[in-house]
Amino acid sequence: MRKPKINSGVETGPQLDAAKFMGYRRPDGTVGVRNYVAIISTVGCANEITLDISSRVIGTIPITHKQGCPGVAWDLDMTMRTLVGLGRNPNIAAVLLVGLGCESVDRERVKEQIAKSGKPVELISAQETGGGIKTTALGVEIAAQMVQAASEISREEFGASQLIVGAKCGSSDATSGISANRAVGNFADIVVNEGGAFVFGELADILGNEQNLANRAIRPEVGQALIDAISNYLKRGMSLGFNLVGAGVTTGNKKGGITTVVEKSSGAVVKAGTTPLKGVITYGDAVTGGGLHILTGSARGAELLTGEAAAGCQIGIWTTGRGALQGHPLMPVIKVTGNIDTWNRLRPNMDFNASGIIAGTDTVEEVGKRLFEEVLKVASGKLTRAEILHYDRFMDIDGFAHVV
Amino acid sequence: MGNGILTDRSDNVATVISDITKGEIISIKTELGAKEIEAREAVPYGHKVALIHIAKGGEVVKYGIVIGYATRDIEQGEWVHTHNTAEAYVASVAT
Repeated sequence: MRKPKINSGVETGPQLDAAKFMGYRRPDGTVGVRNYVAIISTVGCANEITLDISSRVIGTIPITHKQGCPGVAWDLDMTMRTLVGLGRNPNIAAVLLVGLGCESVDRERVKEQIAKSGKPVELISAQETGGGIKTTALGVEIAAQMVQAASEISREEFGASQLIVGAKCGSSDATSGISANRAVGNFADIVVNEGGAFVFGELADILGNEQNLANRAIRPEVGQALIDAISNYLKRGMSLGFNLVGAGVTTGNKKGGITTVVEKSSGAVVKAGTTPLKGVITYGDAVTGGGLHILTGSARGAELLTGEAAAGCQIGIWTTGRGALQGHPLMPVIKVTGNIDTWNRLRPNMDFNASGIIAGTDTVEEVGKRLFEEVLKVASGKLTRAEILHYDRFMDIDGFAHVV
Repeated sequence: MGNGILTDRSDNVATVISDITKGEIISIKTELGAKEIEAREAVPYGHKVALIHIAKGGEVVKYGIVIGYATRDIEQGEWVHTHNTAEAYVASVAT
């Protein structure tokens, strides 16, 4: 069985190569790898205005979703925390919140909470401004001023301890667990030992490994939080009549050679590397300090990456076997595949080739180190394929609103 | 380069990285050097092959983790999948 290292992952480990990147300093001490002005819908019904404003102003990103109204209190609270987390994300220099005016989510409170980070925040609402056209015009004017001010911020040198990296695996195949995910696990160890943070989630892909991960927790209550999250996840499924254990291994998975739920999750959680589990964070909450973290919530890419961005991640790493294409508006997402065929056929959408592990030409450690170097480059400004090809607008916030 | 991959030193199954035919020699790189076993049957790409004899009820280990239990005796070189391996996961929540 895999044994955790002695290093707690909490304190900064030995700075092997004194790894550095060029990032943007924010007023609250966090460090961004991009310098965007975020146009954020406080409710799904303001999305059209948000998209209009963002399409008019270079340097902005649209944050759209289906949440904010109506919804149960649990959902509204999670939406609010997520919006605050997205606004506070270090890749964001300034925030323009766009509301409808009658939504349940407390947009004034969202504004106040984001403003605590010290970055400029403005709030406009369609019903107060006089409809979509006027609100778009007003928003374009505000966003243009914000972008010009943000453009005066320059990159500075920071240590890798400032990195917060999120992970996701999607469209996996038989190669994922034996190549790309192992390389990411090795990368996770490097970034955590450098003092940075690594975040992964997808409860569906942890199922069967929750106890192994809980055993690696720095404190018993951290491990228990994961056990509880899995238990609640299964109970939610049962309340709707679904056995989520049985649903875990798909027809495609079995055809690809995955026999059990535990095998599937074991191939997924190798992404977590070998350092101790520092924290289990609820969707919408932020990571504090370095170390290995688990984000509870959906395994779907659009929601999971949003949760990681709200947790403060500056960069996402997405391992894929068959070839997932999507990125995220707020974070560069590095596409890693260990399948040489996918690397060749989907080359325009892929960023990193981990197939040498299967070919036997590279060790897991070599590929993990190379991935770390790639992350430092992307952190310093190198663009990912999802950014270049603009395959990065699809996103959502996790929630139950669709069943209300 | 071999045609089988081991993910942890304690694994008793290997993942094959090409379609294996009956009688083919599967070569797996381990810390102790290459291990060679003869496939007792065809094993499709991405599927698992037993490295040793696994008795009925015994643990099937991949990634250093017990991923399932043998539902019958599995011989070295046999294909390991749903026909001879049962789920290892026991839900921690009351059903």
